Formats: sequence, C-alpha cells, structure tokens
Amino acid sequence: MFFFLYIIGLVGIKSISTVLNAENVRIKEAVSIKIGIPGGLLYHRYATFINTFINELDIECIFSIETNREILDMGVNSCVNEACLPMKIFHGHAVFLKNQCDLLWIPRIMKCKNSESICPKFCGLPEMVMSGTKRKEGVIDYPLYMDRKREVRHYLKKLSENLGCNENKALRAFKKAVISYGQAEKGIWDKEYPFIIFLAGHPYNIYDKFANMNLIDKLHSYGIGVITEEQVFDNNKEEEIKHLMKRPYWLFYKNNYGAGKYLVRNQKINGIVYISSFSCGIDSITIEMLKNDIGDFPFLILKIDEHTGEAGMNTRIEAFADMLERRRIH
Amino acid sequence: MYYMGIDVGSVSTNVVLLDGCLEVIEEIYLQSKGSPIKSICEGLEKLKGKYDSKQISGVGTTGSGRNIAAAVTGADIIKNEITTHSIAASYMDAEVQTILEIGGQDSKVILLRNGVISDFAMNTVCAAGTGSFLDRQAERLGIAIGELGNMALKSKVPVRIAGRCAVFAETDIIHKQQLGYEKEDLIAGLCYALVRNYLSNLCKGKEIKDKVFFQGGVAANQGIKKAFEDILDKEIIVPEHFKVMGAIGAAILSKEALENERKKTMFKGFNILKGKISTDSFECQDCPNHCEVIRIYSNNTMIGCFSDRCGKYQISDAKSKI
Repeated sequence: MFFFLYIIGLVGIKSISTVLNAENVRIKEAVSIKIGIPGGLLYHRYATFINTFINELDIECIFSIETNREILDMGVNSCVNEACLPMKIFHGHAVFLKNQCDLLWIPRIMKCKNSESICPKFCGLPEMVMSGTKRKEGVIDYPLYMDRKREVRHYLKKLSENLGCNENKALRAFKKAVISYGQAEKGIWDKEYPFIIFLAGHPYNIYDKFANMNLIDKLHSYGIGVITEEQVFDNNKEEEIKHLMKRPYWLFYKNNYGAGKYLVRNQKINGIVYISSFSCGIDSITIEMLKNDIGDFPFLILKIDEHTGEAGMNTRIEAFADMLERRRIH
Repeated sequence: MYYMGIDVGSVSTNVVLLDGCLEVIEEIYLQSKGSPIKSICEGLEKLKGKYDSKQISGVGTTGSGRNIAAAVTGADIIKNEITTHSIAASYMDAEVQTILEIGGQDSKVILLRNGVISDFAMNTVCAAGTGSFLDRQAERLGIAIGELGNMALKSKVPVRIAGRCAVFAETDIIHKQQLGYEKEDLIAGLCYALVRNYLSNLCKGKEIKDKVFFQGGVAANQGIKKAFEDILDKEIIVPEHFKVMGAIGAAILSKEALENERKKTMFKGFNILKGKISTDSFECQDCPNHCEVIRIYSNNTMIGCFSDRCGKYQISDAKSKI
C-alpha cells in the first residue's frame, strides 16, 4: 500500500495556507484536507483496498492518473539516477500530485507479510521522494507494517486523524476495505488462448501498461495467455521453496520463484516471461535461481528501463511466440 | 524465380537473393549509416539492372528495421531476427545445435534441438560486447575494423582486459596502453574480454552443443572466433554467408509462407526507386505520451507509420502485428 500524503493545510480563509507537519497535524476548523494518492509501485496491488478506504472516509482526494510519458519524464528528473524504473515512475506520480493536494501519501512500507522483507527502497521512499520533489512537508511518512492487521489499523487510524476523520469512521472504512480487498479478483489467469505463460515480475511492472509497453496485450496478440503469481496458492509457493538451503526472506522472491516452479512442475504453462526493471537486485537472484531450477524450459527475460523504443521488446516477444509455436508443431 | 531477403540492422543493411532452390545468388552488405531507407534503396538499386521486378517471387524482411523495410518494399513476411537466423542456419546445416550471433547492437545465443529453437537469449539493455563496441575500440587504437581480427591472431600474450562494461573496458585499455603493451596483445585481450562477457551474460546455464555456428557481422573477426574456440574448447563454424544469415532466413520464410498460403508476392517492384521516398516525424500532442511518430511516404502517399503507441496513425492494411 502506498500512502503518500502531503499536508498543506489550507485553513480557514483560502489565502492563508498553513503547512502542517505530518507527524503533528492539528485541525483547527472543520476544513477538508485533500489527500493525494500516487498510482505507482504497490498501488497496483492494493488499489481496491486504498480506494475503498478513501471512499468510505468520504474526504477530498486526488488520485494520480495512469502512468504516461509526462509522468515518467517528471520522475526521471526528480529521482536519483540509480533508482529503478518503477521508483522513478512513483516519483513522477508524486510530482504530478504535489501541487494539487494538501497531504501527500507516501507509504513507508516496512513489511508486507510476516517474516518476509521487501526492497529497502520502500523503507526510505518518503525521504527519496521528499528530497527529489523538494517537498519536505505535508507528507505522510510514518512506517507501515502490513504483516499485522493491528498495525495496519493503527496506521490508518493515525492517517484518518490527520485527515480530520474520527476514529469510528476510520474503523468502519478499514473493515470495508478489508472486505472489498478480500473479495477482489487478484491477478490474471487467461483461459482462452492457445498458449499460456507465467508472467513473472513485480506487480508494478506487470500492471503498469506504460512501463511494460503494453506487454499483456502484445502477448495476447500472439495468442499467448497469461497467469500471474497471485493465482497460485501461498502454500504451493511455500512447498517449492522448502528445498532451498536457506529460507528466502524476500517477498517478491517467494512469489515469483515459488509460483514459477510450481507451475512448471505441474505442467500448467508453456513458458515463463519475466518482466524485470533494470538494476533490480531481487530479480537478479530470482531470475538466475528460477532459470537454473527449471531446466530446459522456455524462459524469456524482458528488462525495462527508461527507453521508449519498443523494437527490442517486440523482437523478443515475437521470437518467443515463434519458439512456442514451433516447439508445439515438432 | 527469386526470393529476396532484407535485413535492416543497426549497423548494416543486407539484401540477398535466393533462387528457386534457395541457393544464394546475390549478397549485398551495406552500412546503414543511420538511414535505413536510403540503404534499402541502395541495395535494390544494385539488383535493379540485373533482374526484372517480375522475377521476384517473394520478399521477407527482418532486423530491427524490418517494419520500415516492409513498408518500403511490400514484403510478404516480416520476421524477427532470432527466427530468421535460426531458419537460415538449420537450412545450411541440419545438425546445428547452437548459434552464436553478434551484430552491431545486439548479441544473441540460440539453441536449436532437431532444428527447432529450444531456447534463446539476447543481450539486455547494455550493448557492451557487440559490434559497435569493437568498432569504437578499433577506432581508438587507430586500426581499421577489418584488421582487428588478423592483428589479434598475431598476439602471443593476450592482455587481461575487463569486459563487463564498454566504458570500463576502454579505461582498462588506456591504462594498459600507457604501460606499454603491444597493440596486438591489447586487441587479443579485447577479443577474449568480449567473449567472456558474452558467455557470462547470455550462455550461463545453457548447454553449448556441437555444431556451433558463429554468425553476424562480428564473425568476420578471426580473433573473436579463436577466443570462442579457446574458451569453449569446441570447433566454431563460421558459415559462408555469415554476414547475411538473417536476410537468407527471411527469404526462405517468404517462400514458405507464400507456398503455404498459395499467394502471390506483394513486392512493389523496382519501380519504387523511381518515386521519391521521404519520411517525416512529429511529436503527437493528443495525449501526455507524446509519441514521436514517424511516417514514410512514397510520392506523397503514406506507406507506413511507426512508433504511435495507440496505433491511430496506422494504415489499415498494415501487416505488422504490433
């Protein structure tokens, strides 16, 4: 979940605006505070939850738009050069929102699941964004531990306070968000295509159509359907990582390696396409280990970065589709 | 009855003509020099005098500029370079199981089992260890690119050079040059560095089985071939038409496709050279993506359009899938 909140409290008379500190927001009058929610990184996974929660609070809110070239350009200009593409895109969304909201929600995600870690860039995201976008205040930057429900509830309670909502309302919104997230269809499992591949990678690379240059539609146009990691049960993934020398503690590692191996071993797929952002540390290990462990099996790695030329990606997808087709005939 | 294959790559544009028995009868290798349309026309110009448009029974295009080439010539099939390279290689020798291909901007390895691609890998965003990298280093050392291979073979003690990244390699070469190493040894070192980098990037975990074909422009370099042989401890075969294998594959595929579908070629004929082929590009302002759209015109009629994400500028009969 990503919460970026910039707080610029516009209090009372419109011309007087007071910048509120995220850690200590005091609402003097019943003024609505507008929250800005960047649609980057794990927003792609938790959109249902976030949207329901915000809706239920019934507050003013602005979402960033789908990623496009302008967002990417703004992100590239405001982010440290070494960061990966999704981080830059997130920065772009933050820049897009920064002058349109009072509070910018930047989730400092510490953990997604019990005993599993997430990329360290998530833990320092507020600092990165604040420094890159030059907005040092009006940011919701407190840490979010998603491994425990209580912690999430606590986080959201605090957030609601900053937004001027009372505790009961926040609790109700939280409950509804949990339910709607639980009911929402997660991931993709195409059934009506001649081929099916496991589309591996981080959710923000899989679901951001701009970043991955419309990868899923491209695969579909070659008659290749897609299954994603969310469609594989957690215990199946766990089973696949049991033999490893050491328990991997990266969440994205377990999701991709575990699901990939399960699907290959149970002959549910014709191939694997791994979409990975250039310089991703977790992927560098996941890809190699998965490749090593599945033997002679079609595996395509697509690296994405800032370039917008699609020729390289089209060539690889087309060749991969040809390979699947010709392997089947022979 | 002839089949034409056109491979428009980043560095070179190749045109081949195969006869009905798929024997290579014309082989043209041209520098793209950043202007693919011009070099395609140049290639066609060379064939125009000798052959009649009616003699061309099929056209296939490949390479990163395959869509442009298809728009200009009216191709029957547009195929990626991985498929065409493997088609050509397994046609030349059915026992080929591994293809090492190094071109101007990409390098790839293709594994064939029973003539079918079973796996392939292509370099990612980095162009270290490709032809353009060698070009640059040859230029820096003041040697013609064609000489590089022969000089490398003269070396007795190849110098160890870092091959991970083109920029680091260059720094390393400058250091070693200043220490006084012979040019031959530096170049041989460079060949080994390139091969090591290629193998660790692309061939990790892949089983390199005989026969091994080495093709693409860089296969002209004997130094690289020797480095592959030393490191892999295998015989490396450079096929006769190594520079134009992609184009050959495209021509073969055009024949296959037309015969399967019992269709006639869509080749526009050599007359296209009489008309004026021009391009224009503009940044579309209709949405925030600001695509840089390129349009190709022949005598002021649009014959192709590229790089628009939403596809709204495409002409309806475009054969390209994406």
